[in-house]
Amino acid sequence: MARYLTTRIFFTLFTFWVIVTLVFFLMRLAPGGPFDGDRRLPPDVEANLLAAYNLDKPIVEQYVDYLVMISHGDLGPSFKQKDFSVNELVRAGLPVSLTVGGLALIIALSSGIALGVRAGLDTGSRIDTVVMGSANLGLAVPSIVLAPVLLLLFGVWLGWLPAGGVGSPAHYVLPSIALALPFTAAIARLTRGSVAETRLEPHVMTAIAKGLPRSRIVLRHILPIALLPVLTYLGPAAAALLTGSVVIEQVFDLPGIGRYFVQAALNRDYTLVMGVVVVYAAFILLFNLFVDLSYKRLDPRIELR
Amino acid sequence: MPVRFKCWFVCLVCLGAGNAGIASAQALHLGNTGEPQTLDPHRYNLRLEETILTDLFLGLTTFNARGEIVPGAALSWSTSEDGLLWTFKLRQGLKWSDGKPLTADDFVYSFRRLLDPATAASLAYFLYPIRNAEAVNAGRLPLDQLGVKAQGLATLLLELEAPYPHLAERLLYPTGYPVPRHVIAAVGDDWVKPEHWVSNGAYVLADWRPQAQVELVANPHFFTAPLIKQVFYHPLANEQNAYNRYRTGEMHAISTFPAGELESVRDHLAAHLRLSPLLSIVYLVFNTTQPPFDDARTRKALALAVDAEVLTDKVQRAGNYASKSFVPALVANYDSAPLQHYVVENKLNKVALTQERQQQARALLAAAGYDAGNPLRLTLRYVSGADAKRSNLAIAAFWKRIGVETQLHHSELKVHFSDLRQGDFQVAQAGWFGENNAEHYLGLLVSDTGDVNYGRYRNDEFDELMAHARTHGDVTQRNHVLRQAEELVMATYPVVPLYSVGIRRLVSPAISGWHENARDIHPARFLSWQ
Amino acid sequence: MLSAFLQAAVGSTIARICSGWLLVITSAALFGPLLSPWEADAMDWDALEAAPSAAHWLGTDLIGRDMLLRIMLGARISLGVALIATFVSVLIGVPFGALSGYVGGRLDQILMRIVDTLYALPFILIVILLVVVFGRNPALLFLALGAVFWLDIARIVRGQTLRAREQTYISAARSMGASQTRIIFKYIIPNVAGPALVYATLTIPGVILAESFISFLGLGIQEPDTSWGVLIADGTQSMESAPWTLLFPALAMGLTVWSCNMLGDRLRDQFDIASRGYNRRPDTVGNLS
Repeated sequence: MARYLTTRIFFTLFTFWVIVTLVFFLMRLAPGGPFDGDRRLPPDVEANLLAAYNLDKPIVEQYVDYLVMISHGDLGPSFKQKDFSVNELVRAGLPVSLTVGGLALIIALSSGIALGVRAGLDTGSRIDTVVMGSANLGLAVPSIVLAPVLLLLFGVWLGWLPAGGVGSPAHYVLPSIALALPFTAAIARLTRGSVAETRLEPHVMTAIAKGLPRSRIVLRHILPIALLPVLTYLGPAAAALLTGSVVIEQVFDLPGIGRYFVQAALNRDYTLVMGVVVVYAAFILLFNLFVDLSYKRLDPRIELR
Repeated sequence: MPVRFKCWFVCLVCLGAGNAGIASAQALHLGNTGEPQTLDPHRYNLRLEETILTDLFLGLTTFNARGEIVPGAALSWSTSEDGLLWTFKLRQGLKWSDGKPLTADDFVYSFRRLLDPATAASLAYFLYPIRNAEAVNAGRLPLDQLGVKAQGLATLLLELEAPYPHLAERLLYPTGYPVPRHVIAAVGDDWVKPEHWVSNGAYVLADWRPQAQVELVANPHFFTAPLIKQVFYHPLANEQNAYNRYRTGEMHAISTFPAGELESVRDHLAAHLRLSPLLSIVYLVFNTTQPPFDDARTRKALALAVDAEVLTDKVQRAGNYASKSFVPALVANYDSAPLQHYVVENKLNKVALTQERQQQARALLAAAGYDAGNPLRLTLRYVSGADAKRSNLAIAAFWKRIGVETQLHHSELKVHFSDLRQGDFQVAQAGWFGENNAEHYLGLLVSDTGDVNYGRYRNDEFDELMAHARTHGDVTQRNHVLRQAEELVMATYPVVPLYSVGIRRLVSPAISGWHENARDIHPARFLSWQ
Repeated sequence: MLSAFLQAAVGSTIARICSGWLLVITSAALFGPLLSPWEADAMDWDALEAAPSAAHWLGTDLIGRDMLLRIMLGARISLGVALIATFVSVLIGVPFGALSGYVGGRLDQILMRIVDTLYALPFILIVILLVVVFGRNPALLFLALGAVFWLDIARIVRGQTLRAREQTYISAARSMGASQTRIIFKYIIPNVAGPALVYATLTIPGVILAESFISFLGLGIQEPDTSWGVLIADGTQSMESAPWTLLFPALAMGLTVWSCNMLGDRLRDQFDIASRGYNRRPDTVGNLS
């Protein structure tokens, strides 16, 4: 276990370093510097700006400086949001992104598993057809269509929920549902498949033969095994949820870090882009580490390397 | 399933509870066009920052509710005979929002801070009319050589490099705002944080949640108390979102809404709609260093084929105002020179007129060596965006009618203007807005203007006239020469003026004191609830 | 193998609907623009933002371009991106998976660890960065998306290779002194081609969605070229004044994604791939939006 843990942590750190390096140099390759405005900038002023932000040094030196800086947990000043450090921006934006992402994950898991189990227990039945049909539909309706339509319907026309921004719990309802839908569908399909399969395993057959109540069979004998693929899915799903939230934040005017990312990428706000990627990557890598470890706890059959 | 439903909502409530609720009905919620990048008036860059800064600070001169120039921190000012020395008398009893007195020395400090190379202010050049400003900003002269002096507590003297009659207008911008020296001395760059905030405008910064809202509250030490005590600016970069949130009542006024909704707004929200032209010009610029755009015939042919009225009225339908001249018609005390082909007396109807212009354009192209067998192919560059896309596709269609094949190329604002400044384009859309004087616009075509003369246009005769105009301290004389210069330069078609931007806002009828104006500036202190 | 494909494609009513739609949209993409009376970028000055009519069956957009034609042109790019990106992902995924499964041991562990790690990355963010840095080059978009979507295929191919490796004819080839490369390319890859193809089918909708996602953020395909993502993004900006500008592109894309998913599922059932063992990954990882 200790060796497994060490290897995993080493890989996690290594991946993290690769991402940071990759993004650092990618941003520096981009045409158009961070201080290209639409009005003229005299050369002297531009030189002042570059010096103030450490951009006049050789790129390798900037890179080393950056690595040293983030190892201290400091993501630096934002090039564009001049009144904030990247740490302050992330602190303001991350809770919003995590709230939406977390709610969507809860919605997707609870409804996806419930629907999947129901369909998986009766494959080929009418319910199965309806559930799978809608799941496939859910996968086919992209959130770029779903989110604006939900917003127009429930926000503007019906006036039941706010049309954007944050400020009250109600502001999170539409974004989380819009974000959750494709994942609900994916989890439902996944659960259905593995429930249908687990249902036929010998230990379940034995339980059925013993005449145990249906609910007990499902909860005790089927779910623990059938949910393993869902658990595996959580790692990539967390990554996809966070990226999905980029669009959702855009549509619903949410002040999350996904929105910073798009704007910062367009504005060449090097440090902010780096900061968002660093935080996303760290978060996702940690989540995956956690999923892997809990996997081991849940399924003793897995031999750890 | 029902149990699970309940769970979600419990979770929703727990997680969301951390955020404060929408403020009381007293507060004013305004949609801004995006997120400010800074609220330091010397480091600002964007119009949407100007909007907020106007509420937070008071310069020597300022706007009234109609966007006209009126006394601000200075009650009166006078100019010397030669136009080189300006004397500003400050208002009595001016105070910072922490109660400390504001003196002429604070202005001296602030002008020096703006031009200090260490501040790295990208708009420092706004105040280059002041003596030695350029040299100080470049670090060639020490700060105390800047032509700004205090005379006692309440008199400020500004010495200029050359006569500049539009100084009162130049001082409207945040670059001319005073910043609190005593706070900056104590906390450094952190002075812009809400907890340290001190300013001299009608409001002070109470809170700023990035990408969510900027909250202002009334400044108790301002000389007239504003009627609305609390103002929120929300960054609504997406027009559709702004429109949605206005309709749900979350916003009391928004800066713009989708152009396609204009008809529907006219029908359903007529009392809310505010349309007004902005002092601005959107134009096409030719790279005059590159063939075939170094040939005035080619440029004229392309200009002739563009119908600015069809563009604004049929294609955009966004409330923009077609422009016949490069200097916007809105500029005061100035009679802009329309493009030559608009001047020609013509009794033909619209259709025949268009056909005649197209024929003329084809003839010009033929003279320049292009015909059906050898069509002119060009790339037209513009800034990404749905509205811009529509306009530029229409322009490509105009040119197609005279046999020109247009390739469209769009890029982000940054990249677009960066490339334009480096002269990396053939034909591009550009825009210029801001001041209420002709040289602000005509200056773009002077050969030594630098890289904002995107097309690297050079016309010695025009340059001389412009230099001559700038020796006059008197506005009328100056404008007279400028007008000659404009006429001269427009005959060679270095640019094709298209339109002045039309501002389309939605403003709640419950707000009073809102006046449309050419600068589209609406300080919150003039607004009130009905 | 062919019969399995046929069985999956026309074996039931739903399958016939799906195949039918894919056939329709593909031929519309290929031939539709040639048959349309309208020109790609020609604006119909008399029908700006016009509702569906006899002249414009699906209406026109804000600048009077025929929506039907735009959707067919969009299909060219969207389907093209999907096919090329899928091809790229097969190109990377198959050798990678085959190598990992065939050589096994330490190499297998390292390669699979790489795949696991990559699975967890916010790849769309990196694609966005690539697009911002290197400009809106469609070719780049194809490659970048392909480079993201090969993971599933690598994993499936590895599993299949592990099975194939134990087959007697491969042991025979090995004992006859065939080289590793030869065995992988000559015996293993043909053996796993079917399952790889099935997963490729499931990659297509993922790529279509990912492309639309990027275009929605304004970072994808450039005017005057168009894609379903661009059309939908434009449509959401005029969904009230001209609902047809959102409805039809969304339908075209939704139906295509749906059909691919349905057919992919059926194919997978036919081939009975990867339905054993814990290592199964969902096919939906790519469906990011």
